[in-house]
Amino acid sequence: MKDLFFFDSHCRIGSNCMGHSPVPDIPTLFEEMDRFGVDRALIRHIGIDKGALWTNREVSAFLREDPAHRLTGVWCILPSQCDELPEPDVFFALMKEARVGAITLSPFGHNYIPCRLTLGRILDAATERKIPVLLDAFAGKWQELYHFLEEFPRLRCIYLEGSGRWGTDRYLRPLLENYPEFHFSTGGYWVPEGICDLAERYGANRILFGSGLPRFLPGSGMLQLKQSGLDPQSLAMIAGKNLSRLLEEAQL
Amino acid sequence: MTNSIWGKDHSIAQAYWRTGYADFPIYDLHGHVGAHYAIYMKRCEPDTMACHLRRAGVKHLVFSHHEALFGNMRNEQVYQLCRSQPDLLRMYVAINPHYPERIREDLAKFDAWAPFAVGFKFLADYHNERVDSKAYEPVLKFANERKLPILNHTWGGSCCSNSTILLAVAQKYPGAKFFMGHSFFGDWDGAVKVVRETPGNVWLELTAIPGESGIIERLVQGVGSTRLLFGTDLPWFDEFQAIGGVLSAKIDEEDMRNIFYRNAEQIFGENW
Ligand SMILES: [Zn+2]
Repeated sequence: MKDLFFFDSHCRIGSNCMGHSPVPDIPTLFEEMDRFGVDRALIRHIGIDKGALWTNREVSAFLREDPAHRLTGVWCILPSQCDELPEPDVFFALMKEARVGAITLSPFGHNYIPCRLTLGRILDAATERKIPVLLDAFAGKWQELYHFLEEFPRLRCIYLEGSGRWGTDRYLRPLLENYPEFHFSTGGYWVPEGICDLAERYGANRILFGSGLPRFLPGSGMLQLKQSGLDPQSLAMIAGKNLSRLLEEAQL
Repeated sequence: MTNSIWGKDHSIAQAYWRTGYADFPIYDLHGHVGAHYAIYMKRCEPDTMACHLRRAGVKHLVFSHHEALFGNMRNEQVYQLCRSQPDLLRMYVAINPHYPERIREDLAKFDAWAPFAVGFKFLADYHNERVDSKAYEPVLKFANERKLPILNHTWGGSCCSNSTILLAVAQKYPGAKFFMGHSFFGDWDGAVKVVRETPGNVWLELTAIPGESGIIERLVQGVGSTRLLFGTDLPWFDEFQAIGGVLSAKIDEEDMRNIFYRNAEQIFGENW
């Protein structure tokens, strides 16, 4: 008896130079997903800050261990001037081949300014093709996020909280109001019944369930969402359908 | 979903998943009322909070008022506010160490505020006054004599309410019941030490912890589930987020029951 389809938009896997990681590999990830009834997950590497290229390779390797296709990968991009990544068309084709459905960036770890000069070529292409861009690097960096979105106002993007907890409505709501392609992932957003408020005001299609794994366990956010007071349709959209749709609409 | 924690027949998790409540009351021992400067809170007044609390099967929320902690509202007004939700709300008398006159007046009125006033709230980091300073002494002595609880805001490495300071204070006042809000977040070894080295008058309160991977398990292992109390900081954090976090921990249902209600009933009784 399955009452709700969950697709986690906020899930990191792998290990980095800091040693032990709670979810280092695919069997551990599946164990956690099954323990809570999470059907699918959009996975990005936990070590992205410490390198785009090797973490992209490891994400591809993780996806090869997933014959049932429960997972979709995220790759990290870099500025186009330094020839570290192929041209957008080629990069997107490689993503498709590897079952990578979204991109992310780590400008503060990788030392560049996130703007048109550095990322214009690839992010304009991503905008045209509706490829989702995860904005996890901007967690808590609101000034930078506001500047970034002024530069790329039509970008189809998903903001992910970092450690979260304190309600971010004063920062978040102006972005939801002004950028129709700006989406919000629920991990770390603990405002009482706040998910319901945001959905009523900006549309349930703008909000995606995110667990925050491995720092946070999926169960807390799942119960918060299940009992948020949302109507069943909106609930199903936020739990999983919205992310499925965004990934399907991406023209890789 | 069938094989998940929510699918296990007759489990607490399944009850919360299906209905939003279980076969026991929850006591939320760390709450607030009123708007706060730092974030937008849509539901922070007694009536709107009551809907949320009742949906989650919370029997009592014990709170301190934000404006009594950060502004000039007096605890007398907070007591009047409790009467709007008399079954649901209980209050910690908010202590601001910078107003000794107010403290004297509030201690004198404490008995008149029964059954709503059940203890005190210290917010030492925000008031920038160590819990072992002279300013808190009258309250500590009062609580010590009457065996009353004090909910302390604590955090790992804090200036005014870290585990070293609170250990000494809890040892000095063995009659007072110390609820360590946030369980010295991050200083988990310190939290365990404070419980172990005090004569049974310390409980670790869980606000901000449920949902964090592995922490509840660590505290249960360190001090036992009988020393843990459930709290959410409502209206900061959602009841179901916190309940879901406890249900997500790898502990057994007896531990969960201790955390959600049994320990509170041990301290306050079943009708309070
Ligand atoms: Zn608090």
